[in-house]
Amino acid sequence: MIRFTNQGPLMRASVLATVVAAAGFASALPARAADEVTHDRLLNADKEPGNWLHHHKNFSATRFSSLKDINRDNVKNLKVAWTMHLGGVEGGGIWTHGGLEGTPIVENGFMYVTDGWGSVYKIDAHGGQGTLVWKMDPKTDHDWAGAVACCGVDNRGVALWGNLVISHTLDGRLIATNKENGQVAWQRQVADPNKGEVITGAPLIVKNMAITGVAGAEYGIRGWVAATDLATQKETWRTFTIPGKGEPGNDTWKDDKNSAASGGGSTWVTGSYDPATDTIVWGVGNPGPDWDNQYRPGDNLYTDSSLALDATTGKIKWHYQHTPNDPYDYDSVAENVLVDVPGPNGTTLKLALEADRNGFAYAIDRTTGKFVWGLPFVKKVTWTKGLDQESGKPIEYDPSKQVQRYNAAVTPHRDNKVADICPGNMGGKNWPPTAYNPDLKLWYIPVIESCNRITVEESTPEKLKAREFWTGGGPSQPFKITGSVTAIDVTTGKVAGKLETPFPNLGGILATPDLVFSGQPSGEVMALDAKTLEKRWEFNTGGGVNAPPISFSVDGKQYIAILVGLGGAWDKWFIDATPELKRIQPGSMLYVFAL
Amino acid sequence: MTSGKMSSIAEVIAAAAVAAALWAPGTALGQSAASPDPTDAGKAVFKRANCFGCHKWHGNGGGGYGGDALSLRKTELAREQITETVACGRPGTGMPFFTRGAYDTVNCHGMNRQDVGSQMPPEAGTFLRPNDIEAVADYVIAHIKGKGEPNYAECVSFFGDTSRVCDIYKTQAEPNANSAAGTGKAQ
Repeated sequence: MIRFTNQGPLMRASVLATVVAAAGFASALPARAADEVTHDRLLNADKEPGNWLHHHKNFSATRFSSLKDINRDNVKNLKVAWTMHLGGVEGGGIWTHGGLEGTPIVENGFMYVTDGWGSVYKIDAHGGQGTLVWKMDPKTDHDWAGAVACCGVDNRGVALWGNLVISHTLDGRLIATNKENGQVAWQRQVADPNKGEVITGAPLIVKNMAITGVAGAEYGIRGWVAATDLATQKETWRTFTIPGKGEPGNDTWKDDKNSAASGGGSTWVTGSYDPATDTIVWGVGNPGPDWDNQYRPGDNLYTDSSLALDATTGKIKWHYQHTPNDPYDYDSVAENVLVDVPGPNGTTLKLALEADRNGFAYAIDRTTGKFVWGLPFVKKVTWTKGLDQESGKPIEYDPSKQVQRYNAAVTPHRDNKVADICPGNMGGKNWPPTAYNPDLKLWYIPVIESCNRITVEESTPEKLKAREFWTGGGPSQPFKITGSVTAIDVTTGKVAGKLETPFPNLGGILATPDLVFSGQPSGEVMALDAKTLEKRWEFNTGGGVNAPPISFSVDGKQYIAILVGLGGAWDKWFIDATPELKRIQPGSMLYVFAL
Repeated sequence: MTSGKMSSIAEVIAAAAVAAALWAPGTALGQSAASPDPTDAGKAVFKRANCFGCHKWHGNGGGGYGGDALSLRKTELAREQITETVACGRPGTGMPFFTRGAYDTVNCHGMNRQDVGSQMPPEAGTFLRPNDIEAVADYVIAHIKGKGEPNYAECVSFFGDTSRVCDIYKTQAEPNANSAAGTGKAQ
């Protein structure tokens, strides 16, 4: 852990901190100024190309690393540089094991990763090897949280602010950990598992706030996005994703059973931020009950929507809803990627890109919230004939109807209780993040090419119970599910390429100037040509890839890092669609590659 | 399986403890920590074989992502029907079979693998021996079948009291003092 090389005074401070911590005098040590993470550094994260400071790399959520020592010509020589076994595989609640879905954060040669139960690991990545500096175990209440985690024991990573590491736990806490010594500085209960609320996403840091999203739309929650002031540790704002009585949009819940109060709309994927307008763009999940849309007549705002929030106040600036009165569980929690591309007559289009569970990719004008273009990115869509080219709504959408049937022949509802839908309810595209190459203007989507079967069960108010499923039915998997990496040309809104894969993409994407990195739940990590999607390199990790790759550099050398450990919803609820994946064992491992 | 004197002594002590428990009056359905429940072995199987992954700790199962596990609280199956369902699974449903060789060397519902065809139930993650299956059936009958709504005492007897998983059964009627969030139900 202690290295007597280079760097001078800064290094000495680090050594001193380590020695002091080891001697048991760990306390509030002054952090090194150069390592303080400020709003200014977060705004300019891409000016630190060797670091990966944000969950989605930058506020725009492009997951594009400009590092190019590893390129299309030499990537064939990429090899394992070092690995590290992590923990958190144990089960809890309804889960037999945890998994790894996290994005590593890297700052100045130190990496921060989490396991599914929210333990944070600080790893020294200097010198071509990985050494654990400290581990913070938040002692998550396994059964309390695991019993209401619909879709796995997951934690998607940390954020950095000041001299603190900011993280979430499945049991609803926001935790600030001293970056130097791994001691918990403070923690705050943000979500309440007693209501079916859990947290799986990484925090987004905006100015002095940690922004938290919540999961639980399968358990009758009313979703929200919350901002915690990191200096005072108090809540700055909390915006519910389902409007309360008297608020705009509340009239899109037209029943007399108060369905809005348990209407879902969770927010479990980290959003993005546009500093030019001080706007947070955050995806909102499915309405509840998932598959009985007759229980909740109306459009059900703001479920299945992209939501723009004033970062300072949390007030809603605009929304764009993708699947009104959703009968399919086609949530819109996905990250919105904020990009600027040339428009007609010398204009610049300021877009928010979102790849939805419903199989369509959308470009929304992020100033006005208006639809710009949309197209299917999956091979097969059956639930609608397509999007209206003006509004972007499914063409069968009828605003005069309270219950939407879309393509009625394949839509599950009370009079058509068993229905096969494409894409299946996992998507499309699920939480695994996209990446955007700003040079090529290509946007890469990790795709689940799927159909599945929905069986509707009529919901009644008596069935609504705290901490019990509130889904109005359930999926089954009579069809094989595969995947792809699909590239969209953002200047034209057309598919530019598709590399089909034997298994669904459950990990997400990293883009570099001429490569795209991704993985497969069958174990492979791969590098593709950024233009042609031709496979240039592959390595089998021997586990299941369920997390996105990143790139960083330390000591002047570029690395690719990825967490490996299949967990999440797939191997419990969807494994029958990919029977070969039953051989993948639970695991918890960090892989780091270099030339 | 055992070797060495220490193991043998430990086994004798364990056997004596079990015998004492069996002889103690009033233990059959007792909840007291001081008097071990004879269906504790079955509860351990319920956990080890991941029955609660779908049926939940309280046995009510229910719809949701995992399909629709039937309610063991409302089941009308008799003991031997429960053991056969565990051993052989339920053809055409997600209920897996837990006996090694089911539908091959072990007769199941009067069918072999050819007979059951595409209705073949999935294979469980853990195989159980006949005495395990009887134990879990006895546990279901003693603690789950025929019971009403799950309650705090039942929950704590399943999970112990180190987790907050049972708190909602204790405080359901009271406002939640620990809540940082707005109350969804009362928007």
